[in-house]
Amino acid sequence: MTAHIKFDDVTVQYPIYNSRSMSLRNHLVRISTGGHIESDAKHVQIVTALKNANFEIKEGDSVGLIGHNGAGKSTMLRTMAGVYTPVQGRVTRKGRVATMLDLGAGMDPELSGYENITRMSMLLGLNKNDIAANIKDIEEFTELGNFLQLPVRTYSAGMATRLMFAVATSTKPDILLVDEMFGTGDAEFQAKARERMINLIRSVGIFVFASHSLEIVRQYCNRFFHLEHGAVREITREDVEAKLD
Amino acid sequence: MAWSDIRARYKRSVLGPGWITISTAIGVTGLGFVWSYLFKIDRASYVPLLTVGLVLWQFISGCINEAVSVFTRQANIIRNLSLPLSVHPAQLLLRHIINLAHTLPLFFIVSLILGQPLSLEAFWAIPDFVLVVLNMFWMALLVGILGARFRDLEYLIGMIMPMMMFFTPVMYRPNALPPLMQKFMWLNPFGDMIEIIRYPLLGETVPTHLLLMNVAMLVVGGGATLALFNAKRNRIAFWV
Repeated sequence: MTAHIKFDDVTVQYPIYNSRSMSLRNHLVRISTGGHIESDAKHVQIVTALKNANFEIKEGDSVGLIGHNGAGKSTMLRTMAGVYTPVQGRVTRKGRVATMLDLGAGMDPELSGYENITRMSMLLGLNKNDIAANIKDIEEFTELGNFLQLPVRTYSAGMATRLMFAVATSTKPDILLVDEMFGTGDAEFQAKARERMINLIRSVGIFVFASHSLEIVRQYCNRFFHLEHGAVREITREDVEAKLD
Repeated sequence: MAWSDIRARYKRSVLGPGWITISTAIGVTGLGFVWSYLFKIDRASYVPLLTVGLVLWQFISGCINEAVSVFTRQANIIRNLSLPLSVHPAQLLLRHIINLAHTLPLFFIVSLILGQPLSLEAFWAIPDFVLVVLNMFWMALLVGILGARFRDLEYLIGMIMPMMMFFTPVMYRPNALPPLMQKFMWLNPFGDMIEIIRYPLLGETVPTHLLLMNVAMLVVGGGATLALFNAKRNRIAFWV
């Protein structure tokens, strides 16, 4: 299947609730007093995280999303993944999506390493045969050995990261969406992780990567989107290099 | 997915669900003896009806109590993966059905010990249970959506549910009440759900109005919840 993502005039807004507006009691007080008391509860800040985004990503594209904190990089990835729905415009997507946004979505610390591999893989949309085929590869990559039979809560942070990373990179999607994730674990693991990541990127149709690090983005991507306050602008490699200097 | 989750949990604690059976058995024995003595009712007929009531109440209140945080507790999954949201309440329901499968046999054991005959009528409990599960699903979904938006609903539910136990025919039959109160009792959805299963299990035919009540609940409540869900499903990812 040829992977394809198209954004037509997409705007994503989301509400930011403060603790008062998340309270049913405060809403009831506000309604029953005609809004005199707890008028704060009604106040909900609307954030426009993505404004009129228009672009098309085709098979073979590796897109780097760059921008400051809060520029809308993560929102963009979640919208591409179908987690967030735009309030306006249309997202068209073709191909099987895998996300690496927060590592370890669906990890249950009470379950053993093996059980978590199955659980997380299923959440990523793999079937039993795929998982069985991946197990050996994951065992080798994580080097966790017998620890995989123990509950994940007994793992050190580094060990848990290895497992999460190994599972997340064991899928063979058409579209891969990655949020800033390099630079975890010790140096040896980082080198291994990088190699695994590069292999994965080569195997997917579309790769979208959000990062602060222009250096890494330049290395992996062939198209560059600059985000600023929710506005998307495509820039050239020269622009990125100019920013680097 | 839900299945794997349950299997994993099940494997982990062999005695886990067994504990529920044991604690329920102790509760039923204790309450059955004391209450039948206090109310001066025939133990042989009272203890089975108490067992069904308690076991079903555990199922219902367990579902509702956990449904409040069904989306918020899965926030990590919801915010990262594009899965149908109804998976989460379905999984919750399935887990409680499995728990129920561990406690409901107590009814048959109790009936056997006390020499209460079981009639073929008891098979009607199966389609009735399907109806109860469907009703439970929309309730869990509704409470889950509201719980994701209003975080203090969790405390409200935690406060109301133990109280509801006394307004629900758990430890008694509604027909032991004066006629006017009986009518009110039929307005309690939890009571209707318990009674529609209790009637056939005790070898009695389900009254038509009870069946209608349960079906109406499913149509009206299920419809309203589905409408709410369709209107708000895109917002849940932002709420959790």
